[in-house]
Amino acid sequence: MGAVRVATLAMGTRFELVITGDDEPRLRAIGEAAVERIEEAHRAFTRFDNDSLLAHLRRTAPKLTAVDADQFALFTDAVAVTRLSAGGFDPSLGRRSLDTALILEPATRRVGLAGPDTALDFGAIAKGHAVDLAVATLKEAGVTAAFVHGGTSSGFGLGTPPGQTGWRVSLGRMPGDPILDLRDQGFSVAGALSIRAGSRRGHTINPRTGRALRADRRVAVVGPSARLADAWSTAVLVTGRRPQSLPDHWRIWQCDAHHRWIEMARTAG
Amino acid sequence: MTHVDRRGFLLQTGGSIAGIALLPELDAIGPRSLPEPKAIGVVGIGRHGRAILADLAKIEGAKVVAVCDTNAARAKVGQERAAGAESFDDYRTMLDKRRDLDAVIVATPTHRHRAVVEDSLAANKHVYCEAPLAHTVEDARAIAAAAEAAPGRIFMAGFQGRSNPIYQLARTFYRTDAFRDFVGGSAHFHRKTTWRFPTDNWRLDPEVSVGLVGEIGAQQLDVIHWFRNQTPVAVAGTGSVALHKDGRTVPDTVHAQLQFADGSVVTYEASLANSFGNQHEVLRGTNGTFNLSWTHGWMFKEVDATTLGWEVYALRQQFHQDEGIILIADATKLAAQGQLKAGIGLPYSPLYYALADFLRSVSFPNVPVACNAKEGLKATIVGIKANQAVVGRTPVSIEL
Repeated sequence: MGAVRVATLAMGTRFELVITGDDEPRLRAIGEAAVERIEEAHRAFTRFDNDSLLAHLRRTAPKLTAVDADQFALFTDAVAVTRLSAGGFDPSLGRRSLDTALILEPATRRVGLAGPDTALDFGAIAKGHAVDLAVATLKEAGVTAAFVHGGTSSGFGLGTPPGQTGWRVSLGRMPGDPILDLRDQGFSVAGALSIRAGSRRGHTINPRTGRALRADRRVAVVGPSARLADAWSTAVLVTGRRPQSLPDHWRIWQCDAHHRWIEMARTAG
Repeated sequence: MTHVDRRGFLLQTGGSIAGIALLPELDAIGPRSLPEPKAIGVVGIGRHGRAILADLAKIEGAKVVAVCDTNAARAKVGQERAAGAESFDDYRTMLDKRRDLDAVIVATPTHRHRAVVEDSLAANKHVYCEAPLAHTVEDARAIAAAAEAAPGRIFMAGFQGRSNPIYQLARTFYRTDAFRDFVGGSAHFHRKTTWRFPTDNWRLDPEVSVGLVGEIGAQQLDVIHWFRNQTPVAVAGTGSVALHKDGRTVPDTVHAQLQFADGSVVTYEASLANSFGNQHEVLRGTNGTFNLSWTHGWMFKEVDATTLGWEVYALRQQFHQDEGIILIADATKLAAQGQLKAGIGLPYSPLYYALADFLRSVSFPNVPVACNAKEGLKATIVGIKANQAVVGRTPVSIEL
């Protein structure tokens, strides 16, 4: 059994797909179809281009625009995580929380922004969303084993690679760092600091305070959806708590400034 | 008849005046809306059909009520993309059951356009047909004839450059001293991809495919036809499989040289083996050059060309040793609002403006069609002939 590798640049990072199977030309075509879904998600949810869906919503606020089922699911999940994390995750930029900034009309599958002064930044959920879309495309085409990641911080292991129990992902480069064995699971890793111009700086904004997180912490979340894992990794990074509402099959690790990865207890509130 | 009914006269003139008054002035690049909703059916929910659905959702009043694809999985995707739309696996059933359709958008594989277009026009629907119109000259002529024989129904060919606000702006300059006389042109499309679909690989089937120059080049070359108001008279070409040696015979890399009656030449190159440069059309004139890339455009002036009044306000971008003036639609208005930078790049896709133009023509019958059947036919034939030249590696004359 062989494998093909397909990649694209989107959302400021490199997405990569490794697809296992025998018919290479067909696998590559399927991979390219999955890449198109990633690129579609980028075009819809980028904050930096004026031709995105987010820019359109802002331009036409407070009018509602019909979106597809996947996009509506993203908006719905974003609102849900915003509520359940009590604002630890909140893609709304400005005074309004996503709860009040976003208008959702499920009956017609339409969305809108409360006003033109509202802007959304889906940087902490869109990568996982794109990964999920790519995985769905692979599954629809009959692929049973593949690994998809966006910039190594969000990903999904579909099925298992030949002869393995899952897709192995290390949470760090140090000996003893946890190694995930992903089988039909998504993951996301969020960190508070990034290295820029040689120094470590906070790049994750705490929506509750509007200030950048300063503590050197990282959070990894594993669960059935890369999109939700993406959102929850940021939420837990901000709140420092495992949400009570998260079902037990979701797993969360936290890494402190001393580089110790510890899995958060599933019953903790 | 000498007696003119005064009431009838007033109604007629009043109606036409009202018609003019109701035609809203367009913001050059902003969101589009229709005066009243239009019911639309989209036939073909492949890659392009999905993009059409996404763009229609952003046009206020464009209501997709039916989606159709012979592939059940794609039809389902269509429903997921267009909330509330009814799904069909046969466009004839769609036309029969959805008598409420105002318009049909045809996004099937190119070689399956003809029947859908003809039957939709016969069912009294307005039709937008994706470009190119067809894979053979015979089918393209049949589509154009059907459109001509359907008065009262709008037919638009999906050659998008004609609806692109940046291209429209460049074309106004093309007709002035800023560009002056045509020297030569080129267009290219570079994208590293297999061009293969997981199912139904019609683009790689030499029986029905018009190749890169026919499928994509026709769209780009039409921009040059439209600017110049003329089409080439002959084409030479060649092609090869540079990367994707997977048994295909349809070249993944093509070159074509299109000759015009005045002796000028436009070159075309497309490749699926390299992505550098993406997609551009370049028109070179004695006073300036346009470099157009669908969402952005630049004008480069010859140093001896006259300075234009507005140039002092223009935004510029450096390309190695050349400085391009960024083409911004509605620049005067934006500059007055201090928002010139916000106008760089289109806020919607080129496809969006083409679809919006079509629906505007459907809504306001006096609005000319951006690309009518006759123009669409010319562009399609040029693409088909260029593909013949590439595949046969022999010059082909182009007779429209």
